[in-house]
Amino acid sequence: MSEAMSRTQDQQANFGGMHARSNSNLNETRISIRNLDFYYGSNQALKHINLDFPNRQVTGMIGPSGCGKSTLLRVLNRMYDLYPGQRATGEVLIDGENIIDPSVDLNALRARIGMVFQKPTPFPMTIYDNIAFGVKLHEKLSKAEMDERVEWSLTRGALWGEVKDRLNTSAMGLSGGQQQRLCIARTIAVRPEVILLDEPTSALDPISTLKIEELIDELKNDFTIAIVTHNMQQAARCADQVAFFYLGEMVEVAPAGQMFTAPKERRTQEYITGRFG
Amino acid sequence: MSATTTMRTLPGPAKNQAVSRALGRRRYRMNRLVKVLCVAATVLGILLLASILLTLVWRGAAGLSVSVFTQSTRPPGSNGGLLNAIVGTLIQTGIGTLVGTPIGLMVGTYLAEYGRNSAMANAVRFVSDVLLSAPSILIGLFIYQLCVEPFGGFSGIAGCLALAVIVIPIVVRTTEDMLQLIAPSLREAAVALGAPKWKVIVLICYRAAKDGIVTGILLAVARIAGETAPLLFTSLGNLNWSISLAQPMASLPVTIYQYAGSAFEDWVQLAWVGALLITVGVLATNILARVALRGRRAS
Repeated sequence: MSEAMSRTQDQQANFGGMHARSNSNLNETRISIRNLDFYYGSNQALKHINLDFPNRQVTGMIGPSGCGKSTLLRVLNRMYDLYPGQRATGEVLIDGENIIDPSVDLNALRARIGMVFQKPTPFPMTIYDNIAFGVKLHEKLSKAEMDERVEWSLTRGALWGEVKDRLNTSAMGLSGGQQQRLCIARTIAVRPEVILLDEPTSALDPISTLKIEELIDELKNDFTIAIVTHNMQQAARCADQVAFFYLGEMVEVAPAGQMFTAPKERRTQEYITGRFG
Repeated sequence: MSATTTMRTLPGPAKNQAVSRALGRRRYRMNRLVKVLCVAATVLGILLLASILLTLVWRGAAGLSVSVFTQSTRPPGSNGGLLNAIVGTLIQTGIGTLVGTPIGLMVGTYLAEYGRNSAMANAVRFVSDVLLSAPSILIGLFIYQLCVEPFGGFSGIAGCLALAVIVIPIVVRTTEDMLQLIAPSLREAAVALGAPKWKVIVLICYRAAKDGIVTGILLAVARIAGETAPLLFTSLGNLNWSISLAQPMASLPVTIYQYAGSAFEDWVQLAWVGALLITVGVLATNILARVALRGRRAS
């Protein structure tokens, strides 16, 4: 508990200022998954997953459609709780706490683990209110503090320059790429520790994709990132470590460089060379 | 490579151009026929509607005068107006909407967000749908038993309640439908920020479904503004000026019902005027709300 407190203070001290890359926990594990099984009803979608997400690094998850990579992402913020019949067993540890335990406060958990979806999901309100919505759920800020937070998160989301003159117009008027960066900014604004990205660029054009990839590279200074992608080049460009999933199993995890040049498993090699998928 | 193989070994006889053209002509003729039938049906519908509206405007406008809006109903031949009926309809429609809408909204929200396919939700949905198509005179009798007989007399408030009962199932249905149309991803996005369920519903879903929900409420207003049967047993009608909810209250539909069948020429004329006023009023409310919604979305 006190550990959580000090982390929050640490974040607050860093907020708004130069975010010096924390020295202590570079190689620490942020999330560790142990023996995770996941079921849609009676259908097992994840089998005995063991995977560590290193602190402030990007973990890429690749694999053919239906292999369970998005399912894994949705376990990390307990999104599956919305749907009856979906359940997980095993351990997902953050700071020693098993977050798939039923007693976990879900809203507090989701404030610590943010998520960005495949299709941009702006709320039907102004750009400013889109950012403020999440912040207001967890903090009481004055108008000036909120203004500062909105500017900070939009800047971090690489969107501030494009929208600073129209913060009070509807977010629905933004382009697809801008909407997706707004969603990332909205997630950052809550100041999570982990950001989950579920194919964040699959609905975007190449220029917008490039911007989001640059953004991911910049964000890993402060956040632990997990990204699901169908694009092998994207995984190679963005990720520090890559995990390959196939039919609900995690086949292999390795540093990105090694994964794409010298994979250990035959199935991994066949997938990344395009022999199936 | 495999494509060319398939082409060469395509089974069956060679394509006959004559047969192909004949089939094309048949499709063309069928298309023409269906198109003509569709247009004819549309024209027939519009003609009927236009004839009703034109007759209404023609006969109603002839009786329009200042006294219609300044005088209450009076005995035949003494140049009365419709003021008490107009105000009565505004009061009863207004209160009926105000009472029925929140209940309908909450039930619709329960069905779409909480109950979904539970036994309870299915029962509520079934009852609501039955109520939606129940003859409105039954609703009048229901309120008569509940609010008129026990209190010893017809009253404006009983009329309001009868209209509220009609509003509820309409708002329930549109609210549920509109909430179900919202993309699950929008809900998930709000949940992913750590929003509790009630905030997702109130701050995100209602906002996204706003246009549809408002349209549903307007439909309900339009429906009850013209209801006669449920008012006959509840607010009864009142020939004099009265805005007391404890007394019988006049309304346009009931006045039209009473006047249109009378033998007095000036009363029949007033009935036409009343019908015109209701139609124009409902139309104006609809158009205004649509313009307001569109204006806000564009900004």
